[in-house]
Parts: sequence; C-alpha cells; structure tokens
Amino acid sequence: MKACRNGYLAAALLMSASVATAQSGDTSDTGDTGYHHHEVLQATGVPGDSLYQLELPIETAAGVTVPLSSLRGRPLLVTMFYSHCTSVCPLLTAELQQIERGLAPAARSRVRVLMVSFDAVHDTPTVLKSFAQSHHIDDPRWTVARAAPGDVRVLAAALGIRYRELPDHSFNHSAVISLADQEGVVRARAVGLRAVDAQFLDALRSIATTGAASRPGGE
Amino acid sequence: MPRLSASSCFCVAVLVVTARICAQERVAVGPADFAPVLAPAPGEARTHVAAFLLDRRPVTNAQFLDFVRSHPQWRRDRIASLFADREYLSHWAAPDQLGESALPEQPVTRVSWFAARAFCAAASGRLPDWYEWELAAAADEKVADARSTWTWRARILGWYAQPGSEPLARVGEGPANVYGLQDLHGLIWEWVEDASTLMVSGDSRTQGDPDRLAFCGAGALSAQDRENYPTLMRLAFLSSLDARSTARRLGFRCAAEASP
Repeated sequence: MKACRNGYLAAALLMSASVATAQSGDTSDTGDTGYHHHEVLQATGVPGDSLYQLELPIETAAGVTVPLSSLRGRPLLVTMFYSHCTSVCPLLTAELQQIERGLAPAARSRVRVLMVSFDAVHDTPTVLKSFAQSHHIDDPRWTVARAAPGDVRVLAAALGIRYRELPDHSFNHSAVISLADQEGVVRARAVGLRAVDAQFLDALRSIATTGAASRPGGE
Repeated sequence: MPRLSASSCFCVAVLVVTARICAQERVAVGPADFAPVLAPAPGEARTHVAAFLLDRRPVTNAQFLDFVRSHPQWRRDRIASLFADREYLSHWAAPDQLGESALPEQPVTRVSWFAARAFCAAASGRLPDWYEWELAAAADEKVADARSTWTWRARILGWYAQPGSEPLARVGEGPANVYGLQDLHGLIWEWVEDASTLMVSGDSRTQGDPDRLAFCGAGALSAQDRENYPTLMRLAFLSSLDARSTARRLGFRCAAEASP
C-alpha cells in the first residue's frame, strides 16, 4: 500500500515531466505506440466525430482482417446484425439492398455497405460467407464482417446501437442503419425497421453524388 | 475483516508512451450465483458471476488527472468528440488542472463511457460488468445480499431523494461493505462495461416507448424484482445514456480479473 503510493507519486512526476517535454516539441499526439489491446485508439487526421477515430480491426467474410478505416473515402451504410437472426436481421439486410436500388448507378457505385456481426464466436468468416450467399450479397462494395467482442461493444457504442447477448446466443439489439460520409462522420441514422425516410435518402444521394459533404465550419 | 486481495499496484511508468496508471487497491468479490434484478433471460432467474476484483473506491479527480496528463488525447480540449459530449470534465478549472470545483479526493464525474474504459485499461483493468456491479452493490456492512432488507433500500432511496446540487463528498467516507468496498451507494452513479446492453422492458420503461419497435429478438428483458427501486433506478439511468454521455454525478471504478 505504502510502496504503491510512493511509486505512484514517482510515476506521476515522471509522467508530468515527459508530457511537458512532448508538449514543448508539439508532437504529443504522434508516436503513441504503447497502447494495449482493448484500449480505444484515437486517430489523428480524421474529424473528431468520425467513426474512423476507432482504429478497430474487422475480419471479413473472406477471412481478411482490415482496419475499419480502410473504408474511409467512400460514403458508408453501416449496420450491425448476427447471422442466425431470423426476425429483424433479414429485414435489415433487405432494407440496405432496397436503399441501394434507389440510387442512380453512378452514385451507387460510390457507396460502401458494412454489416458487422455482434456474434464474434459463431459468425466465423465461413458462416459470414454463407450468410452473404444466402442473402444474395455478392457485390464487392459490401463487407460482411465480425470483430472481437470488446471491439463489437465499442463499435455499437459509437453507432448508438444497444444489444445484449442472451444465454441461447441470440441477441437482443436495436436495428440501426447509419450513413457515414467519406470521412466517417455519421450524417443520418435510421432507428427501427422501415425507418429510412426521405431525409435519410436525401443525405445519402447528396453524399454519394457530390463527393465530400459540406461540413459546417469546413474541414 | 473482509477478504483483501493482493492489491494490484502496477506502477510501471517506464516511458510516457507506455504510461500506465497506478491501479488502486482492489478487493475480491465472488464467485457467486445470485438472482439479479435484471433477469438474464426470459424465464431465467439466476446468473453466475465469476470471481473478480473491484476497486475499493470510485476513481478520484486526482487519479483521473494523472491519467489525462499521461494520456493527453483524453484531455477535455483534445478528446475526439466521438468519445465524449461537451460537458466532459467541464467542472475542472483547466484541461490539466482540477480547481475548486473538483477536489482531488472527490470522485471524478462528467466522464464518458469511452473515457472511463480507457482509464481502466491504463490502470491494468476494465470496467465491471453490470452483474458484477450489482453483485458487489447488493452487500451492506454485514451481509453479502442485503437487497431485501428495509434498511438497504431505505438508505439508498434516501440518497436518491437528496437534491443533486450539493457538492460531492470525498471518496472513502461511506461505510465499507462486507467485501471492503465503499461508496457503491450514496455518492455517485457508476459506469459499467455493458451499459449499452441494459434494456429495461415494458414492465418498467417501455410503456408506449417508441424505441420498442427498434428492438430485435425476444424483446427487452424484464426486471424480476419490481420492488427493488434502488437497482431499477440505476438501470433506468444507465439505459438512458449513450457512450458519449457525461453527467454531474456519473463516475466509475475499475474491475480486473481475479488472480488465478
């Protein structure tokens, strides 16, 4: 206990000194490589409210692990689901497909779609691949993926999705489709089934047609 | 005397890039089978909580100040807005100074779930899960499960009834429960890791709730002890937050895995 307090003080002093040095060089936001798993990393160079502040890895149905930010640069429709969900999730998938069909081909070609599973254990790449096939998801612009349980929690938190795993490995979850712009800033959200409204679709068309959406206050 | 674990004092500040926060004293809780207020699943009353360690007290302003000094991306003037609302640490005198409205020994409040989680990761821990928190908070000074006693409920409800404008007490002034934990009740609300999974059902919250249609699966869970207002109020409060939220009386403490 006492030793801890002493060490604690020493640590605090050491840290303050190091932080002061870093600040004087104005480089304190770079070179932070010492973080450990499960800690939320903060990315530089993207807007503060961008989803790409989350540097979390996702594993796709192809078995490839990529950072979430690999989707940066394109408009993104994103939702969360689990593959053995028989009630709402198929409707969510259908809704995403329907949104896409409403776009002109040129705009559609710019849009990316991401579905991330809540179920890191059962939704292996093989399972995700078969889910994609059975729902006729064969467009390379679509990514069906899973993430580590801690990362699922962080992504759901960032998207405002509430979910809970039940003992039978099904999930209660809110059905939310988010539209993020090229920089990962969420521009529209549809909460609930058939909740995609004209405003959502206008935002999507605007982002997908004009390139970068105008940001209040500029970049 | 409560069971004290070998407390985890990992004060390894090797370099600033790997700075860890000194974990505070943690005590052992569980393992236990108990009936939580929030039913694990429809028709299931009991759940198992594995042994874990929990901070004896909530995290203080002083400890959080050390954290933001060694992890400056969590300063209020640098935090990405994805991770906290505008009121984050707004009662501090400056991004790296506490000041009169945030005394060192008061619990840190106005912190988001993201920030609380990052602190705990830096302190060699994690946030407790709801069931862990509920188990720990079910105790009083004498027994591990005091939830059905009148005094347990009355004391907590008495605290809820106090006006929220009074200054927060220092941590460690409340009585220690059978595990040696202090201030689980009577001081602040506390974040849990799975706060965003707490969906309280039609019984207590979703009467006419427009969000109801938004839920997939078996629907929201139901509270199985509807008389337990103290715990239901916690649940209702936590389920009203999103991960960026901060509040004047919302803080946290960290947990960790029990040593094997």
